[in-house]
Amino acid sequence: MITQQNKARIVEAFVGEYASGKSEIAINRALELKGLNHQVTLVDLDTVEPFYTLRPLKALLEGKGLNVISYTREDSFGLGETGAMLNPAARWALMNKGDIILDIGYGIHGAKTLNLVEGAYESSELRIIAVINYTRPMTNSPEKVREYLLELGRLDGIIANTHLGNQTTLDVIVKGNNEILRVANELNIPVDYMGIDKTMYEEISDYKFEIPVKFIERYMVNAMW
Amino acid sequence: MVTPVTPKSWYLPSKPHKFCPGCGHGIVLKALGEAIDELGIQDETVFGFDIGCSLLAWDFFACDSTQTHHGRTTPVVVGLKRSRPELITVGYMGDGGGYSIGSQHLLNAAVRNEKVTLILVNNTNYGMTGGQMAPTTLPGQKTETSPFGRDPEETGYPTKGPEFIAELTPDNAYVARATVSKYNQLKRFIRNALQNQIEGNGFSFVEVLSTCPTNWRTNAAQTWRFLEEEMETHFPVGELKTPFGKGAK
Amino acid sequence: MQKVIGESKKAFITGNEAVAWATLAAGADIMFGYPITPQNEIMHYWTRLAPKYGRGFLQTEDEISAGFTVCGAVQGGKKAFTATAGPGNVLMQEPFGMAEAMRLPVVGIIQQRGGPSSGTVIYSQQEVTLTTFGGNGEGHRIVYSTSTHQEMYDYTIKAFNTAWKYRFPTFILGDGYQAKMREPLEMYNPEERGIDLVKPFPLLGLEGNIGTDREPQHLVNIYSLEEELYDVVMRVSKEYESIAPEIVEYEENLCEDADVIILTHGVVSRAADDAVKALRAQGIKAGSFRPITLRPFPRQGLLDVLAKTNAKKLLIAESAYGQLDKLVKQEIFGEQIEIENLFMPGVGIIDYHIISKIKSIL
Repeated sequence: MITQQNKARIVEAFVGEYASGKSEIAINRALELKGLNHQVTLVDLDTVEPFYTLRPLKALLEGKGLNVISYTREDSFGLGETGAMLNPAARWALMNKGDIILDIGYGIHGAKTLNLVEGAYESSELRIIAVINYTRPMTNSPEKVREYLLELGRLDGIIANTHLGNQTTLDVIVKGNNEILRVANELNIPVDYMGIDKTMYEEISDYKFEIPVKFIERYMVNAMW
Repeated sequence: MVTPVTPKSWYLPSKPHKFCPGCGHGIVLKALGEAIDELGIQDETVFGFDIGCSLLAWDFFACDSTQTHHGRTTPVVVGLKRSRPELITVGYMGDGGGYSIGSQHLLNAAVRNEKVTLILVNNTNYGMTGGQMAPTTLPGQKTETSPFGRDPEETGYPTKGPEFIAELTPDNAYVARATVSKYNQLKRFIRNALQNQIEGNGFSFVEVLSTCPTNWRTNAAQTWRFLEEEMETHFPVGELKTPFGKGAK
Repeated sequence: MQKVIGESKKAFITGNEAVAWATLAAGADIMFGYPITPQNEIMHYWTRLAPKYGRGFLQTEDEISAGFTVCGAVQGGKKAFTATAGPGNVLMQEPFGMAEAMRLPVVGIIQQRGGPSSGTVIYSQQEVTLTTFGGNGEGHRIVYSTSTHQEMYDYTIKAFNTAWKYRFPTFILGDGYQAKMREPLEMYNPEERGIDLVKPFPLLGLEGNIGTDREPQHLVNIYSLEEELYDVVMRVSKEYESIAPEIVEYEENLCEDADVIILTHGVVSRAADDAVKALRAQGIKAGSFRPITLRPFPRQGLLDVLAKTNAKKLLIAESAYGQLDKLVKQEIFGEQIEIENLFMPGVGIIDYHIISKIKSIL
């Protein structure tokens, strides 16, 4: 039985389509909480492929004070097809003190990956948050976004993360995120905030967004494997 | 910290191993290790490991071993045994390596009654590459390449390997299906399989029904339920062929 | 054909997905495949999308089967393709060989990983020899080496057209980096860009009653006499050479006044482009040559560049141990330019590596 030692702690699981930006959002959120002097554990639950996981960033993030539960590249890569490897400590992630941020990989099972974390679904603290990038082909229309969100099952929040990599413009962000907002309102799911690459700061500083904006530092570019 | 009692034939520097939490491989490899110890064959035993989650066992045992290619473990251990008959050669593979890409080798080794021991771990999916459909995926089961559930009309019913191996082999072969939910039986079947090779009788094959919570995305209770209620219903557990007499303890 | 891409717009996408969408847009009817990293997402996305567009899929028992099932589908007149890597590519040489012999328009996407054997699941350019000259034949196949996601999309569509127009097996040679990296690109329906899709045609199961309307089709890949084989191989070789000028593609940049030319293919060309910019800014006159088709190799294009250039040195850089180098040398045999090598098998090459190498050889 998981005892709640810290009633006000944050437990967030980021789910989302392949390459939607879950890991980037998860890292930034973990570092944000660390910046508020919380104790934070970041958990790698990417089990489908070995690319773009937290593994290569483990040392860097631990250097910034996070407790990171994942294998390192060396542990997992000497051995060939090592996508689906789960660090046993991930199973008991919720037993760590302080905030827990879970980076759930992609896959047809969606948020069911949380079954692998003991006590996740029973936890009253857990929020399951979907990260959506409107430029991704599987979520690039209101119908597709709605279908995708309904497939995911229980969702406690959404993060609008529309971007086009180095071709992102204010227009792309606004148009995409507004669509996400509309669908979210229809389905009654709160949109927590918009994630925007901090290099866009100048370009968007004059625009008035309807929902909070969090500026994202890109870490995952260095995390190809 | 408590150090668990481990088989002598286990290679301690490679522990703790890298299999996922809840994975059945750990249980199979423990039964294998204990069987090797009890039969006293550590120095003669040589392993071949397939590509897939089975490759995580590459340095698991304090026995010589080789990695092979996906599906080619059977011919490698056959070649080894034919050139070095005094060795006890064990091929270790998954349902993909055995029933899919490796099926022609498995079939032919069985027909020729090769004196090797093959252990095939069946968890109904391609685990290592991220959960694609496997020959033993159950009807309706969702995987990355059967996202809407396996349709037997399209892709057939799950492969029943020990059944066809039993048909193809002569009477002095050993063919069984075990499950990680029944450890003592699992160990007994593995012992019998190795014993069959030690006595120079013929082919020995054990399929083991195993768990993969990572790719099934199941918690502990759901994992055991899938194994015991669904898999064990589709894949009957028991000895299909044994020269040792049924129920030999 | 049902439109696949809605309104043409920019998407943030991985290379594997770009391939999956491109095959749909190109009108591919069916995919056969077997799991192998790093191409699995091509299959994952195809299985999710194919039912919506009435396309087919089968995960076969292995890569040999995947290659031969593609051959069968192509013989039936359907646009079929497969995707693989590493040891899977090795296995597929048997069916690809049959496709060469029987002039079957099969399309294969190869996402190179480290080799030989299981190597790594990540990246290399070590399947050049295999993809261009694999099998027990003369390498009568077409190979496009892409370097961006936009190219993966564009050339996958082109591959089907090339295959069905010229009837040689056609390959997209990518790699694990291109498969997994995320980039923006523009997806489109080919018709909207004036790209006509070549119609497939059956070699078996033709229309009409046998005897009255037509003769039965008896396709072979074995001959009784050496002379028969000689005639076939010579005829196909001549045909292959005659169509090569229509198919070859390459890019060259600033070679004419260059002191050194950097020759790369695929994703390494990005590093070469960056290196040329950086070197020029430092006063070093570098140029670059990039074959886009590795088969047929743009021999005349390269010979023309060498004829006009001042460069005394040619640096061939690849994430392999000489596979591109050998390919180039066999094409430009007799040329006097001094060839240097940067071999980094299985490892990514960035501009820094090329720049350091250039400085050490000049």
